[in-house]
Amino acid sequence: MNILGISCFYHDSAACLLQDGKIIAAVSEERFTRQKNSPVFPVNAINFCLQRSNLTIDDINYIGFYEKPFLKLYRVLLSHLRAYPFSFKNFLDTVPNWLEERLTLPLLLKKELGYEGKVLFIKHHLSHAASAFLVSPFEEAAILTADGVGEWGSMTIGVGRGKDIKIINEMHFPNSLGLFYTAITTYLGLEALIGEGKVMGLAGYGKPCYLDKFREMVIVKPDGSFMIDQKFFGFNKGSRMYSNKLIEVLGKDRKPQEKIEQRHCDIAASLQEFTEEILIIIANNLYASSRMDNLCLAGGLFLNCVANSKILENTPFKKVFIQPAAGDSGGALGVASYIYHSILNNNRSFVMQDAYLGPDFSQNQMKRALVNNGINFKEFSDEDLFKYVAQKISQDKIIGWFQGRMEFGPRALGNRSILANPGNPGMKDILNQKVKKRESFRPYAPAVLEEKITEFFKAKQFSSFMLMSAQVNEDKRTVIPGVTHIDGSARVQSVSKNINPRLWNLIKEFESITGLPVILNTSFNLNREPIVCAPEEAVSCFKRTQMDCLVLGNYVAEK
Amino acid sequence: MNKTEPRKICSKCVLPESKPEIFLDEEGVCNICRDYEKTKEDNQKHVYLETEFTKMLKMYKSYGSYDCLVMCSGGKDSTAALYYMKKRYKLRPLAFTFDHGFETEDALENVKNAVEILGVDFLYFKTDYMNEMFSAILKTESKAVMCHLCSIWYMNLTFETAARYGIPLIIAGWTKGQSKQQPLMSRCGCNVHQAEFTSMAKAAKEFLDSYVKNEPKYKDFPVSMEEVLIRAKKRQKCAVLSPHWFLPFDSDVYVELIKKELKWKFPRLSYPAHTTNCYLNFISVHNSMKYFGYTHYHVEMSKLIREGLLSREEAIKNLEINFDQELLNKISQKLDYVF
Repeated sequence: MNILGISCFYHDSAACLLQDGKIIAAVSEERFTRQKNSPVFPVNAINFCLQRSNLTIDDINYIGFYEKPFLKLYRVLLSHLRAYPFSFKNFLDTVPNWLEERLTLPLLLKKELGYEGKVLFIKHHLSHAASAFLVSPFEEAAILTADGVGEWGSMTIGVGRGKDIKIINEMHFPNSLGLFYTAITTYLGLEALIGEGKVMGLAGYGKPCYLDKFREMVIVKPDGSFMIDQKFFGFNKGSRMYSNKLIEVLGKDRKPQEKIEQRHCDIAASLQEFTEEILIIIANNLYASSRMDNLCLAGGLFLNCVANSKILENTPFKKVFIQPAAGDSGGALGVASYIYHSILNNNRSFVMQDAYLGPDFSQNQMKRALVNNGINFKEFSDEDLFKYVAQKISQDKIIGWFQGRMEFGPRALGNRSILANPGNPGMKDILNQKVKKRESFRPYAPAVLEEKITEFFKAKQFSSFMLMSAQVNEDKRTVIPGVTHIDGSARVQSVSKNINPRLWNLIKEFESITGLPVILNTSFNLNREPIVCAPEEAVSCFKRTQMDCLVLGNYVAEK
Repeated sequence: MNKTEPRKICSKCVLPESKPEIFLDEEGVCNICRDYEKTKEDNQKHVYLETEFTKMLKMYKSYGSYDCLVMCSGGKDSTAALYYMKKRYKLRPLAFTFDHGFETEDALENVKNAVEILGVDFLYFKTDYMNEMFSAILKTESKAVMCHLCSIWYMNLTFETAARYGIPLIIAGWTKGQSKQQPLMSRCGCNVHQAEFTSMAKAAKEFLDSYVKNEPKYKDFPVSMEEVLIRAKKRQKCAVLSPHWFLPFDSDVYVELIKKELKWKFPRLSYPAHTTNCYLNFISVHNSMKYFGYTHYHVEMSKLIREGLLSREEAIKNLEINFDQELLNKISQKLDYVF
């Protein structure tokens, strides 16, 4: 049984191929088009998924789409109507796209892929819920999903048992915690869909002294449901997601190039804490009604690793599972899993243990990329490679690390990563200056040997997908300053020998040299570019930055 | 072997300087590479995806006994193409091998194994029809490249065969280096109008005009690939496609596959290295090097280098001349010619 899941047309379009319930391939279209958060029909991703599975489109039994377009159009039309005349420009920008392709997906599938088989649509948040629960290690779990908005839903609570998912309740647009977070992100002069993670980093530098202001804007009920006072916002009204009223309350909005002031940090901190407060109330209520020990989270809001760990810390849930593509790209995985298990009634046997579901490349292809770009390199055996690269990291060299299959989801988890020494207090600035060109307030993440996680971090569970943060143990904060955020936290990736033996071996070698079972791991890309996919892109990134060393498979190139 | 003067070779691809068509700039880069750089972005905008191919397979759906006619020489690319059509796309191919009397035993063995294992019908056409023409090329010291004339003949034959069996689709094993320019297969794998082929195309035309047109035996011989296509169009609607244009796999990948699945073997002797070509190919290569300083394989591999599918190092290694005069004379016996 071959099922292809597709998510597209808004942001983070992706495809996922499920064969007899097992994920064979999953990848975001942006990695092929090289346009970050690409919303386009994922024809490249689909071709990759088919080829990886050794299938053609005629072998596909079902295609699943991650939301219901007619329901969504109803919401779009109604909300534009309500906001008329302010929404008129948005209406003109949005609605023609619907008529062109979104409502006629089966026709588009025929035109783009030659596919004439069965097509199923499920609701956006059900896709999210399925993406988390059906590939989780749990037989039963409570489920919480939250993002900007799907058709109408912006947040759902539910429970999963075996192969069934039951949505118990949902919040509707315009009451959306995701849109609220994004609106304040844009108020802070950061870009929607990209800036939310930056706000999370910025929050570490501030004090939550604007909580009362946010409480004025959002009425939270005891069960965690909330109502956003729309006079502060304008989700459909025009080019801005917030109103002048918000500016009256919070002060002048920040323009993208303006300096970040303490006030901005405080607003970010307040936003982060307010969001966490609401999520914790909802999660506690969900626990009370479900009495389940496990929680599955999905939706773009749960790319917020700080909020995720606060939920685990402040609720009775014992374990939390979040799959690596928690945002809309994961909808492709969700709909495919839902069709296989919940609609076609097949038992679950697959647990998503790793994110390495994208393309890989042969040694020959990697060598060719180096040779064709006139780059000198050396070839190492595995053992020598880990020793050599670990040595380089210990010497504060910045390493482009390109191995195996690319990760699904927005995090680089050691196959398309830039690695550096976390022990160097100046490493963040060096990385920013030489390679990443990121804002100085954003922290870098640690990758730690799974078995050593509690030596360095106050972690309640492993974090293979870098979606949980943890406080760095106080005695270790000066030991790994390169990955310790201003508030003492870190976005941890725990590395298992079974799941990523090459990264594990590298960290182990680094530990034998420095005593640290931790390395700094950030995504292999430049600011505003998608993470590299193919060796040529890795080489291009290497050439355009002051990265010291590029490792493609077992080939090492140095500057 | 005649030794030719060493020519300056492009520092990016493997084309030698061959004025006026191919010339190197002060950085040692040829005009073809420079032109490619200018249009690289546009070229990369359209990636040929496999789903495009499967859509075309449906567009050229057959209502007869066979879905496609696969030109199968026994080389890795055409054998893999046959494998894909049968196994990957689950079509009913008719394998077709044409032998002008110079096919190698190794290649024919590969075809035999492939059709037997895949269980596909097989049409083997052997003739010495072209021998006099090949012989005339050698004896008149024409610069015409035998492979070009041969390709005109075999494409015509292939179209004829496809029409005879009512097959609307011809499948070739052409690589991305041989042709990727569309509209699909307008020139049967090789655009003779591109700069790299100008001299070769001119030589072929001169020979066709001076010899073939005046030879009663060859009165029906098409004088160009364009004429082949015009004739084909009159017979039936028919497309020529290669799966390799649409698949992202390196030849390493499908060589492993056909070795495992179809008992495919590399021939003991071939030029370029890691290919399967007929015996006459050695003579053709010898003459191309003598008259032009490069072969159509240099053109093909240069394209692959530009597209990042082959390294210059690999291409240079593959293109090293690996045969001698003794071999040429052994082959040319049939053509009544001595080197």
